[in-house]
Amino acid sequence: MHRLYLVPTLLINVVIIFIPAVLTVALAFFRWDGITMPVFVGLQNFQALWNDRIFWTALTNNLIWTGIFLTIPIFMGLLAATLLLIARRGSMFFQVIYFLPMIIATAILARVWQGMIYSPVSGVNGMLQRMGFPTIDPLTQPSTALLGIATVDLWHWWGFLCVIFFAALRQVPQEQIEFARLEGVSFWNTLRYVLIPAIRPTITLMMIMTVIWSFLVFDFVYILTQGGPAFSSEVLSTLAYRSAFYDLAVGKAAAVAVVISLFGLAATAFYIRAQAKEFQS
Amino acid sequence: MKRRTFIAGSLGLLASTALIGHALAAGKTITWWYESADPKQQGYIKSGIIEPFNAANPDFNLTIDYRGTELDKQMRVALLSGNGPDIVYTAGPTYVAPMARAGQLLALDDYVTRFGWADRILPVFLEMGKYDGKLYALPKTYETLGLFYNKTLFEKHGWKAPTTIAEVEALADAMLAEKIVPFASGNANWRPANEHYVSIALNAIAGPENVYKALKGEIPWTAEPFVKAIDTLNSWWQKGYFGPNYFSLSDEQAFAQMATGQAGMMPSGTWQFQRVNNYFPPNNAEAGFVGFPSAEGIKGPVYPLGVGSTFSIAATSKNADGAAAAIDYIFSDKAYSAMNSVWPGEWNTPLADLSKVQVDNGLPLYTEAMKTLAEAVGDNQYGYTTWTFLPPATNSYLVSGIEEVWLGRSTTAQFLEQLNATFLQEKADGKVPAIPAR
Repeated sequence: MHRLYLVPTLLINVVIIFIPAVLTVALAFFRWDGITMPVFVGLQNFQALWNDRIFWTALTNNLIWTGIFLTIPIFMGLLAATLLLIARRGSMFFQVIYFLPMIIATAILARVWQGMIYSPVSGVNGMLQRMGFPTIDPLTQPSTALLGIATVDLWHWWGFLCVIFFAALRQVPQEQIEFARLEGVSFWNTLRYVLIPAIRPTITLMMIMTVIWSFLVFDFVYILTQGGPAFSSEVLSTLAYRSAFYDLAVGKAAAVAVVISLFGLAATAFYIRAQAKEFQS
Repeated sequence: MKRRTFIAGSLGLLASTALIGHALAAGKTITWWYESADPKQQGYIKSGIIEPFNAANPDFNLTIDYRGTELDKQMRVALLSGNGPDIVYTAGPTYVAPMARAGQLLALDDYVTRFGWADRILPVFLEMGKYDGKLYALPKTYETLGLFYNKTLFEKHGWKAPTTIAEVEALADAMLAEKIVPFASGNANWRPANEHYVSIALNAIAGPENVYKALKGEIPWTAEPFVKAIDTLNSWWQKGYFGPNYFSLSDEQAFAQMATGQAGMMPSGTWQFQRVNNYFPPNNAEAGFVGFPSAEGIKGPVYPLGVGSTFSIAATSKNADGAAAAIDYIFSDKAYSAMNSVWPGEWNTPLADLSKVQVDNGLPLYTEAMKTLAEAVGDNQYGYTTWTFLPPATNSYLVSGIEEVWLGRSTTAQFLEQLNATFLQEKADGKVPAIPAR
């Protein structure tokens, strides 16, 4: 009888997630413009992706993005959380400051950075240029566009990680930290041998979520560059969007979505395995 | 029943009866979904179209719903599910053929006869809206590309509006020497702005006859005239004609730069006329507009024809006659005069005879340009904009592909090869919009 309690959530999941997911996977094997009747084409959409250099650019950009977000914000978040743990005074104030970008809508953040920071007309960048500094708008150069977008997302994201890590660190027994301090263990060694091992499950979860979210990144890229200039900041989600809504190639877009899901699926499988191992140990 | 509940219930019943009564009295509803418009613009539509139409047609009640920039996606989903508005406002001729093929649109041929559209609308546009021999769409507005310039700045330097490509280049070089950006331009807010320049190059350098042949599949996009056009456009980019901040500026910021004299010219579309009064008078400057000069051997200037959005009627519409009457009103001299007086550049409906319209927008330059364009179209002397005549994936590739050429990530030959391959694929799939015979 108690299993009936699962029905409402299950129903929502089936309608909102399962059916669209199955339809997306099915559409990946059709040619469809989103208007007329779909035509079954087998693996043609995947073959087209394999031969599409823009797909490989997008995939590479997603991998670079994942690499950036698996390292920089996690390192910054850990470092700041540890400092907050040691210097308790004002920790609440800094938590609020670090977390603040997280509660602002991404579209607004992107526009603020585009117009007030990067713009050579209305932004800090323009002010520096007028003062004689040879600065550039990173969004306009193929070599820096992706990094320019990542910087905005990093600024918005790392504070969230800091607050999560700080919450986890507060669960570490105070005696362990005190003991390390009395024994004269350095800051870095306390971090390495006491704090990080104690919050490893939180770090693992955050890293796995980072991988999944990195393959879903869309908003900042679309608003700031729409994948340009010259496809240099194209990621899989912007490629899927462009295919579906500009090229009217919904089947190809579905194939890209399937590829995105595969990476998410791999990360999820890894997480479940890691959790199972932890339970066993 | 408590007294309070009874009173509330009675009042509710009365109110709903009154509302229904009002709706019935106001006539049969015609629904129209529109893209984004700011409150001022919504006021123009209300006073220029909605209110006068409803006043003149008591049997109908035209209503408008502003759906924002994602209108075309919402429209596609709504039509797929058999819903949607009576008046189908598409994002351009590219979308008309697949919608007509899917049976989502109503053929308008009966209304052409009933309302005499064949006499009132430029014939080219009746051809463009056809699929399989039947008319399914009429363009809301048509536009062209040309060369805006800062007349005051030109007078100060003793420059004259260019009439040949060589003069354009000489002027641009002179501007660079004066540290003035030759072409005010930017795509930060609208990346497809790239295709305005490609359209200009294809028509002015390769020529409209060759573009027509390529659209009909008679010559490939890799043919020599197109190589020359893209090479020339690329040489302009490499020489710095588009300025150092192309990817950072919006087109409005670029327009403002031209008005202040930081930039000299602006190759762009007639929709920019709506900005003239906002930017030129405050800078004590005067704007000029000419057709973009053509290369040697091409009769010019060529006015590339562009259609941004179209009107159709949904096949499932329960009030098709009302929708047709509303579209007919939009194509009246009265609506043209009202809308172009307050909102120039956005409501240039393709009327065959503009002698009866009275436009008072303080922009004689605009009225002149539109008359020149109407004459060019009437004489079949027009060019082709890529967003109107290319199929969707080809056009989408063109927008990003030209950036690759500009930034040295691909060559003209590679760009045109991929463009041609994508075009041939879409042509085989029947996605190329109707191309009127020249």
